[in-house]
Amino acid sequence: MKPKYIFLIVLLIWQLSESSCKKLIEVSPPSTAVTGNAVFSSDATAIATLTGIYATISTSSTATAGSIPSLSLYPGLSSDELTLWSNSGNLQGTAYYQNALTSGLSGYGSDYWSGFYPIIFSCNAAIEGLKKGTGFTPSIQQQLLGEAYFMRAYCYFYLVNLYGDLPLALTSDYAVNSKLSRTSSSQVFKQIVSDFQQAVSLLSTTYFDGTLLKSSVERVRPTKWAAEAMLARAYLYTGNWSGAQAQADLLLNNNSLFALSSLDSTFLRAGLGNKEAIWQLQPVNAGSNTEDAKAFIMDSSYGPGGGGNFGAYLSSALLDSFELGDNRRFNQHWIDSVNFQSTIYYFPIKYKVYLPVPDPSDVTEYLMMLRLGETYLIRAEAKARQGDLSGAATDLNAIRARAGLSGTSETTQPGLIKAILHERQVELFTEMGQRWLDLKRTGSIDAVMGVVTPQKSNGASWNSYQQLYPVYYLDIQSDPNLKQNLGY
Amino acid sequence: MEISILGRGLPCHVRKARYHPTKASSILLAMKLTAFLFLAACLQVSAKGYSQKVSFSGKNVSINAVFASIEKQTGLSFFFNYALIKDVKPVTLDVRDVSLEEALNVVLGEVGLDFYKTGKTIFIVRKSIAIGNASSAGVAGPPQYNIKGRVVNHLGESLPSATVVVRNGKKSVFTNEKGEFELKGIAAGSILDFTYLGYEKKTIAANNADFMVVELTLASNQLDEAQVIAYGQTTQRLSTSNITMVRGKDIETQPVNNPLLSLEGRVPGLFITQNNGLPGSAVGVLIQGKNSLNYGTDPLYVIDGVPYPSATLPSTNLGPLGTVYGSYGIGTPLSFINTADIESIEVLKDADATAIYGSRAANGAILITTKRGKAGKTKASFNLQNGWGAITRKLPLLNTQQYLEMRHEAFRNDGLRPRPSNYDINGAWDTTRYTDWQKVLIGGTAQYTNVSGSVSGGNTNTQYLFGGTYHRETPVFPGHFSDIKASMHFNIDAVSSNQKFKMQLTGSYLVDNNKLPIQDLTGTAITLPPDAPKLYNPDGTMNWQLTPSGSETWLNPLSYLYKKYQSKTYNLIGNSNLSYSILPGLDLRANLGYNSLRINEFASTSMLANSPSNQFAYGINGRNSQFTYSTIDSWIIEPQVTYAAILGDGKLDALAGATLQQNSSDGVQLNGIGYSSDALLGDIYSAATILASPTVHSIYNYAAVFARLNYLFKERYVINLAARRDGSSRFGSANQFHNFYSIGAAWIFRQEQENPGNFKFLSLGKIRGSYGTTGSDQIGDYQYMNLYQSVAVDVPYQGITGLAATGLPNPYLQWEETQKLQLGIELGFLKNRIFFQADIVDNHSSNQLDGLILPLITGFNYVTINKPAKIRNREIELSLRMLNIQKKEFTWSTNINFTLPQNKLLSYPGQIPGYLVVGQPLTITKAFHFMGTDPSTGLYQFQDSKGNPTQSPSFSTDNTTLINAGFPKYYGGFQNVVRYKRFQLDFLLQFVKKIAANYGFGARVPGRPINQPVYILNRWQKPGDIAAIQRFSSNLSLADSYSNAASYSDAAYSDGSYIRLKNIALSFELPDRALRLIHFQGMKIYLQGQNLFVITKYKGMDPETGSSALPPLKILTAGLQMDF
Repeated sequence: MKPKYIFLIVLLIWQLSESSCKKLIEVSPPSTAVTGNAVFSSDATAIATLTGIYATISTSSTATAGSIPSLSLYPGLSSDELTLWSNSGNLQGTAYYQNALTSGLSGYGSDYWSGFYPIIFSCNAAIEGLKKGTGFTPSIQQQLLGEAYFMRAYCYFYLVNLYGDLPLALTSDYAVNSKLSRTSSSQVFKQIVSDFQQAVSLLSTTYFDGTLLKSSVERVRPTKWAAEAMLARAYLYTGNWSGAQAQADLLLNNNSLFALSSLDSTFLRAGLGNKEAIWQLQPVNAGSNTEDAKAFIMDSSYGPGGGGNFGAYLSSALLDSFELGDNRRFNQHWIDSVNFQSTIYYFPIKYKVYLPVPDPSDVTEYLMMLRLGETYLIRAEAKARQGDLSGAATDLNAIRARAGLSGTSETTQPGLIKAILHERQVELFTEMGQRWLDLKRTGSIDAVMGVVTPQKSNGASWNSYQQLYPVYYLDIQSDPNLKQNLGY
Repeated sequence: MEISILGRGLPCHVRKARYHPTKASSILLAMKLTAFLFLAACLQVSAKGYSQKVSFSGKNVSINAVFASIEKQTGLSFFFNYALIKDVKPVTLDVRDVSLEEALNVVLGEVGLDFYKTGKTIFIVRKSIAIGNASSAGVAGPPQYNIKGRVVNHLGESLPSATVVVRNGKKSVFTNEKGEFELKGIAAGSILDFTYLGYEKKTIAANNADFMVVELTLASNQLDEAQVIAYGQTTQRLSTSNITMVRGKDIETQPVNNPLLSLEGRVPGLFITQNNGLPGSAVGVLIQGKNSLNYGTDPLYVIDGVPYPSATLPSTNLGPLGTVYGSYGIGTPLSFINTADIESIEVLKDADATAIYGSRAANGAILITTKRGKAGKTKASFNLQNGWGAITRKLPLLNTQQYLEMRHEAFRNDGLRPRPSNYDINGAWDTTRYTDWQKVLIGGTAQYTNVSGSVSGGNTNTQYLFGGTYHRETPVFPGHFSDIKASMHFNIDAVSSNQKFKMQLTGSYLVDNNKLPIQDLTGTAITLPPDAPKLYNPDGTMNWQLTPSGSETWLNPLSYLYKKYQSKTYNLIGNSNLSYSILPGLDLRANLGYNSLRINEFASTSMLANSPSNQFAYGINGRNSQFTYSTIDSWIIEPQVTYAAILGDGKLDALAGATLQQNSSDGVQLNGIGYSSDALLGDIYSAATILASPTVHSIYNYAAVFARLNYLFKERYVINLAARRDGSSRFGSANQFHNFYSIGAAWIFRQEQENPGNFKFLSLGKIRGSYGTTGSDQIGDYQYMNLYQSVAVDVPYQGITGLAATGLPNPYLQWEETQKLQLGIELGFLKNRIFFQADIVDNHSSNQLDGLILPLITGFNYVTINKPAKIRNREIELSLRMLNIQKKEFTWSTNINFTLPQNKLLSYPGQIPGYLVVGQPLTITKAFHFMGTDPSTGLYQFQDSKGNPTQSPSFSTDNTTLINAGFPKYYGGFQNVVRYKRFQLDFLLQFVKKIAANYGFGARVPGRPINQPVYILNRWQKPGDIAAIQRFSSNLSLADSYSNAASYSDAAYSDGSYIRLKNIALSFELPDRALRLIHFQGMKIYLQGQNLFVITKYKGMDPETGSSALPPLKILTAGLQMDF
């Protein structure tokens, strides 16, 4: 062979060999996706990741256990708040309702575990991306970081209340997370408080629109105010009464932004002048107001379980706990009823619109995530626990007055605390599982459920371990360091 | 001058004299004259050779005995001077079926004699001794020639790079681009072997320095036929690989829609399953077992050098080709290849054959070569085929009386009375009606039409072929449905006049218009109650058998007629293969290919597809349509350089090249909901709501360099080395490249011509083996990337479309690797009329791409990783071909192949998924052990952990047995071809031994309003009954009991072995006399049958397609083929 040809061939093969091959096989990401690095290098895409979290939460149905909107339903079924229609045939609903959750492949109860950890992953990825990324407008970067800390802590708050000790995933690295063991509840609460504190320091006081530059009349992104409201709640749950009071003060002193609304306006969207809203979620399903309305409101022609209704209605325990003259119970403000096949069913109408509306601009109600009514009750309890009985009564009476009730007659500390906890039951029913969480944090759960559970489950008895839901079975299988809750 | 003294051998005297300078010049003129005449004679000899074939086998025999034997075999007589042979030593000769010329060259060459033939006489002469022009006169030693010549084929076309080897002389050359060669200083009497791939070897003795023209004839035996391999050709004789070739003529005889189906039962080591009997449905292909836990097991398809997709886009398809309607499976693009265009299909199985395809060939490769034009008279062919198809078996189902008995008994057992909704027995339906729904819904006759034509021809420099095909098939369902394919195919082969530049152009275009129904009606046909109402009202409208209140009582199966489906596929394949010969033996090549597969689908639901109450409930939303547009475009560029050289006693072939390939896939699906009229369903703009499904847009880039060295030593030892370095865009930067290699070797320990030694009984003996690695990157694109996709909601949150991560990225993903070790033996007996081949396969796959199951606390429940799980596939592949009878008017040949596979999961580190068991095949199923029906309760019982019966078994605690229903125990085929005069009969029986999921427990709970097979009548009725079937029940209270038995117990699986008459073809060729009369070159009339019967004990529709899918249809066709 002539050297010329050998040279040419060597040249040809070299041309196609590794160094140039690398270029040849490189591909850009598909036009249907963006890489993680690209996402966290511009304001718009970074905003879209947090917005994606809110949209995903908002699109999920209240009837689907494990979604954030469903916190209003399933923990309510577990408590003394809701009754499951006897013919519902819903195995999952029945398991929550009869406190008969079980571990195992076909068991129920780990839905919030499997529903919330993916949100926590998104928050962790966002925190890492926002810290590492460049090219952001500083104020936007700060706001988004605050939102990510806020959402992570929000999810952990519910997880720790529903499941107890938790694997605390604070990174997006699966190699680390897949081997986590459970951190004690108190440590998890410390992390939650720390995250909310971070969020308070990072988040803006302005309610922004989707650009995070212009303000908005709607309150659908977490702000400093939302972080303070959650921090107040976290302090309340950890017995930090002064902290809870201080955070509540910040909100309740801001009269220009926040005020109690009338009963029928409490769940309207902030854009319609509802100053009670601290944080809401914008509905994203076509023709829909809130998913809660669809799950709870009964149509007189279908009754329970028909026409989109989940088949759960208010328990007599709850109905009986209202005082006479309470407008939340009577006069169709927050509770209504239907007579279906000679039975009267009572159901919440905090959200009133359950039928489709033709256009998104016709939507009047947004899902209420945090509202000032709760803040009043947090401060009332914090004050009462610290001995400021008159201050506590003032806050409590603000809520009672709106419901058309006279001021509280309680004057002792235990009496006031009891009154405040009762007020929480009748004020916050079917809202984000508050009742179930209150029963647990106040230690009254065994007493209450010991009576209610046998009624709900044909005589089966209540066991104290049932105040925690079972941990996700498959996670126990795949994480060698993870143990199931005792009793399951 | 050593002129032999032969009385009548005068021309010879003169001829030799010409080259003897010491002889008297007086006769020179005469000699020149006769020399010319003789040269002409010699050329004729070379050009045609003697037609007689002779055989001889003997050790140390006298040459006289050889002559005597040849006289006997040929009827020729020898003429020689006895003095010439009296001193000749005994000779050893072993030839089978070689030309007379070759035999004599061999035997006479050894002893310094020569011959020529005139008429029926062979003259033996002393070998002429001449001094070649390169040797100086007077030098002692044997005389030498300078020999020049040209090697041509039967058409007179020159054969460049043919090998000319001087036997024992350690000298060999290649012919140049004009087919010419020159050998200098060749000892007189040397024997020259001329070889060219795909042609029969020719042996000629070097007798003189005349210019010789050597004609090689195309190999007609399977051993020496050209066989396509990756980037080249070989023959079976010299191959080091495990390759099975299926010829176009075996594919032609089968009325199939997908060429893969024509391979069923023909290729050892290849198992093909048809998902159902609908044209274009998915076909499962496994070469040498399942290599991968979870990801693709598709082989690499290469059509004329261009890789071809193995699956259509999965996420956007709707109908028979798609995934939305489960029973169809993912479509197979191979059904968009026209079977009539195929010249041959090669199935490449071992590493030696496939390592050069590197990462894409872990599951083997299937090479499809299309037909090419041939030089010569222009030939036109026309083929017309028409036929009919039907199902082969029907399930024995309950008649109305038996059905009603079952229903009433079920209600009695449950202590219930029929409710208002039990229309089948409460009087709403006419219980005296009986309809055989299998006959009505799947009992129709399918139409099969295939018309194809082609024109081919050309001259020595340019050949062409142009063809077209029209193919139409209809299903067996009622209604007007069809699948029509039309295709064109052309190719041009051209060579420059200096023979250095060659070009092959191939193009094909196929359009498929598939209007098959969107649903397989088989499931409905076997479950619809036999007393169900009639399909039509007297006025011709669909009958919904309304209740007095106006609601329908059944889902009329004809409503599917109002669900339209259409897919239009456009498949363009273009390929050019260019080569330039720089020097003899050194060629530059480039393979350039392009493929564009475009599928547009449309599915719609008309208002009438909804029942009357749904029409009312849905309003205009009862009308909806889906539009899918998907394309897969791929191009490939493969520059190559090939070098061939004679090295020592052997021939070296070297190949180096590179591949650049890109596949891009795009898919869009739009859904329109709510139309005001059925007429507008085809217009997405008319929909009230338009929703888009997630789009597909992905690009796969692939680049590689590869090389192969092949060395053939002494025509007996072959070694083949291949290596490839691959880069794929499917892997992260850390692992984008990977090396693959293979080594293959063969030892031909017995050749026809050679010393038989201990292997006298063989005509060919060969051992070969290979070891190497191949890979698989079939994980889909972008798996290693950290990607965020849009969160699509109806009303964007704050007007913004959100983004969310699609999964956990793993930038360290790598190739799955399969190491293949194979050993083969090939034995020919009785002149290779019996040819036996055996392969032992030991393939190990590792580095499995698998989902690592993660706790959800990581955000996702899995991440794709390479898991060091090991899978072993062992196999024994046997094939035997026999030419049982070979007479002029009658031939009979038989091919048998047999495969014994064994698949085993050797290890699986970490948490093993429940469906896998180490030490067992991947296709294992865990099942409860069935213990029959409890005589006291009439419920199914299963074995618990202690061996006692239980009615509620659990997989975690109770006894289970392992059943391998996923892959056969063994399989094979048995083919016979019988030709008598002008008739030819060809039939293929396919046999499969396997376990299959059966239909023995009926369709769902017996007693429900669903028809059942008759064998469920053997049921429990009262305490004490020993029965196969549990007590009938009208509700779902026994559903768990039923599914534990019918889906999860070992009794749900039983023998699914079958023998299928896969193909039978009978043809008759018109005699020449008749052809002359009608001025045709050829005419053939034929009958072909596919899947005509199946012999099986299987309980269910068909053991191949399962209990409730449409089984492979039997198709019978008649056709006519004409050549002009």
